[in-house]
Amino acid sequence: MNGRPEQFSAQPNELLVERLRDGLGLTGTKVGCDTGQCGTCVVQLDGRSVKSCLILTASAAGSEVATIEGVTTAGGELTGLQEALRQEHGTQCGFCTPGMVMALGELVDSTAGGEAPTEPEIREWLTGNLCRCTGYHSVVRGVQRACAAARAEAPAGSAAAGQEA
Amino acid sequence: MTTATGESALQENGILGKPLDSREDPQLLRGEATYVGDIDLPGTAHMAILGSPVAHAKILSIETKAAEQLPGVLKVATAADFTDVMPLPCIWIPGGVESHFPPHPYGLPGARPVLTGDTVRHVGDPIAVVVAETPRQAAAALAAIAVEYEPLPVVTRADEALAEGAPQLHEAVPGNLNAYWTCGDKDRTDAAIAEAEVTVELDLVNQRTINSPIEPRGAVGDYNAATGEYTLYASTQGPHNHRFLLSALVLGIPFNKLRVIAPTVGGSFGTKGYLYPDMALVLLLSKALGRPVKWVDTRTGLMNSTVQGRDHRQHVVLAGTRDGRITAVRCTSYANLGAYPSTIGPGVATALMGRSISGMYDIDAAFCEVYAAFTNTVSLGAQRGSGRAEAAFLMERLVDRYASEIGMDPAVVRRKNLVPTEKFPYDNGLGWTYDSGNYQLNFDRAIELSGYADMPARKAEARTRGKRLGVGIATYVAICGVGPSTRMSKEGMLGGTWESANVRVHPTGEVTVTVGSASTGQSHGTVFAQVAADELGIDPAQVQVYEGDTLKAPYGQGTYGSRSYSMAAPAVALTARKIKAKLVKAGAVFLGIPEDKVVYEGGKVFEEGNAENTKTFAELAMAMWYGWGLPPEIEPALDETTHFDPPDFNYPFGTHVAVVEVDELTGETEVVAYTAVDDAGNIGNPKVVLGQIEGSIVHGLGQALMEAAEYDENGLLVSADLNHYALPRATDAPFFSLDKTCTPSPHNPLGAKGAGEIATVPPAAAVVNAVVDALSDLGVTHIDMPLTPEKVWRRLRGEAQ
Ligand code: FES
Ligand code: FES
Repeated sequence: MNGRPEQFSAQPNELLVERLRDGLGLTGTKVGCDTGQCGTCVVQLDGRSVKSCLILTASAAGSEVATIEGVTTAGGELTGLQEALRQEHGTQCGFCTPGMVMALGELVDSTAGGEAPTEPEIREWLTGNLCRCTGYHSVVRGVQRACAAARAEAPAGSAAAGQEA
Repeated sequence: MTTATGESALQENGILGKPLDSREDPQLLRGEATYVGDIDLPGTAHMAILGSPVAHAKILSIETKAAEQLPGVLKVATAADFTDVMPLPCIWIPGGVESHFPPHPYGLPGARPVLTGDTVRHVGDPIAVVVAETPRQAAAALAAIAVEYEPLPVVTRADEALAEGAPQLHEAVPGNLNAYWTCGDKDRTDAAIAEAEVTVELDLVNQRTINSPIEPRGAVGDYNAATGEYTLYASTQGPHNHRFLLSALVLGIPFNKLRVIAPTVGGSFGTKGYLYPDMALVLLLSKALGRPVKWVDTRTGLMNSTVQGRDHRQHVVLAGTRDGRITAVRCTSYANLGAYPSTIGPGVATALMGRSISGMYDIDAAFCEVYAAFTNTVSLGAQRGSGRAEAAFLMERLVDRYASEIGMDPAVVRRKNLVPTEKFPYDNGLGWTYDSGNYQLNFDRAIELSGYADMPARKAEARTRGKRLGVGIATYVAICGVGPSTRMSKEGMLGGTWESANVRVHPTGEVTVTVGSASTGQSHGTVFAQVAADELGIDPAQVQVYEGDTLKAPYGQGTYGSRSYSMAAPAVALTARKIKAKLVKAGAVFLGIPEDKVVYEGGKVFEEGNAENTKTFAELAMAMWYGWGLPPEIEPALDETTHFDPPDFNYPFGTHVAVVEVDELTGETEVVAYTAVDDAGNIGNPKVVLGQIEGSIVHGLGQALMEAAEYDENGLLVSADLNHYALPRATDAPFFSLDKTCTPSPHNPLGAKGAGEIATVPPAAAVVNAVVDALSDLGVTHIDMPLTPEKVWRRLRGEAQ
């Protein structure tokens, strides 16, 4: 769990999001619906973003779980994605935000060294996350900014840097 | 101040008007903000609510014994446990609306009880509550409560509820008619319509929609037996208002023994300003059990209990000349109030909509009548753009209908009828007096930016791809800045609608601003700091903003109707000016010069013509804290408060242009371009407002294209979760072309107008106009929202509405 081993026994019907919020006090992960539609509960399971309201705790045994709490660096500094979202004001009420950061983190990471995602690709990626405040525009701009920054930081001579020029 | 230049009148070098990053964002991005569901007080017990599974029935019996015996269950309560609790009041009773409900001690009408004991009137009507050790135990125990119902006939449409022989909801309300409300001049309008060269008519359904903030509501009640004080943590957009309503009017406890705290709130859009039974229940049960009691709603629970929006069935008529001059507009509307009058629902359904119907147009005769009826559905309330969106929809549909009838370009018709700039302040004949505007400038900018002139070519090009391109224009005026208390009292509001701010300067020169409003995602902490810093000439980083806790913040009515920036921010500015005025007086003493020689500028006072003789803000703050050497007429310290009650509302406005492509084969509508030019007067933080505009437009597109609260014939809400209620996703809108004009309002010292939700007002009309345009050669003159692919596909095949 966020790089630390956690040991507990869970009821067979316990949802991962319940364990995170009620059992472990990791309340950064939110619950916005009962049906797996809103994406506020997204965490990463072995590096892939998943909806923690659709996963039984027991089925996550042995996996690495990363939540928004694990994304924050020790000094409280924002990651590149978070910083880009901040600059684009990609968060208003913030309730959808942790789930967005967890879902988009996978996208930004997976494209950092290669092609930046196109706007339709970013929007497509975001369809699992609902936001009622922003209309998604600032979030999309944030991802574009984060990808650009990630590519700019890629080592000179890499494929990404070449494409930038 | 009142002349429109189209540009902001804010100072170039000021901090106000600058797109500062939101200081709230970092903690939200780290998931560190505390929403009500994250609050975990020691010893908390968990509450679940049993809502009625049927829409209309007599309750014959409720059996709770089995539930009480389940593991972890601490208490099961029904209406019988709360007989001394007063009903939740409705505080907006527009003129002509009668109160049919038992009166409150303070002259307010009661509306709904905290729990329903005899008759349930909508699915989700709360009947019983369980408190248990865990949320799961509480939820499980609901299933063990046995309720015997005697079914009653159901009605879910306002027009049907008013028909002869319809099921009756409230004994005290014969015929289910809560209100017959009118505005404007009926005789003049009827005459204008009778004499008109051209009239057009439409029957419109403005469907019921659900606001759906992503955070469902929640509440934590914490009673302190030692002091007799209650604390309520709630996802509310008006903590002071909820304190006022709950303490004296519902619970009968002293005002000074209830503290309401709004933690971070996950969106609201109107719905979290209402008083709900759960707020009272967590407090009552916390007292009964001696433990904090927490309740967090589910999505389905929210959809079956949190106020819903819109829901009018209308017959509308527009009259005009053959050459495009509109002479009259008339609206007859059947508004669906739901099962009970919500806190301000009746006002939303009547005044907010009716007085707004003429929009940006200079029309000689206008009249609106509303029949507001009770039905077996969730109570009606505000929803982002409430009332004004419904008004813009009917007017803008009518204008297009009229333009096509006389064979004129809809843009030309609109341009011809805009209220001329020299007519402000403009009395719209329906009860609003528009403060300021340059509608022509705004309209022309939007038309130009949208590339309107190129549309014929684009239409032809789209046809080659199997798409029908349509363009739709919608303009609007949104009443904001609610408001002048006296004016609102004439509108039937039972309470003041001012806003207040306190500015406190600490000895170290840091400043704390507290306001009565409460953010639900509008970056108040950033924007109000900008206002104070701008006035005081200091760095916004020195200013900290607090709100949302009634114990700490000065009174205020909350965030609704896009009022915070034009109500609370002026209160901050005026208070900062009081601080400045005091510093000028004190500066004269400290600098040893007469007061009229003291200049306050750039966060300093200095002697006119002698900048050497100066004291910085920090020095002044410390000196005022010590209070040494001050004459008796100057009190030490710097701590001022203002209660701002403006002379009248403010009226932002704008023009939106939607371009859609309808797929010939599938009937799918895609919004391919969207242009919006809004005028919200002087803007405090353009970055924050941009986000609100973008979000608002997408919200409006949602109503046009996909959102609908669907009740079946038994009154069951079939769209009660997000599998069945469609919300716009990231793929549902392109980036928008946005611009603004700026006509400051004369009604507040910042020249501000409402901004937060104004862009939700026109998109539904713009999109429906665009789709009807795309299908006009098929003889289509109107399609009801939402414009689902199936509906459009049928129209493409010539099927009737
Ligand atoms: S809580 Fe909505 S998808 Fe998990
Ligand atoms: S920021 Fe409020 S739901 Fe996304």
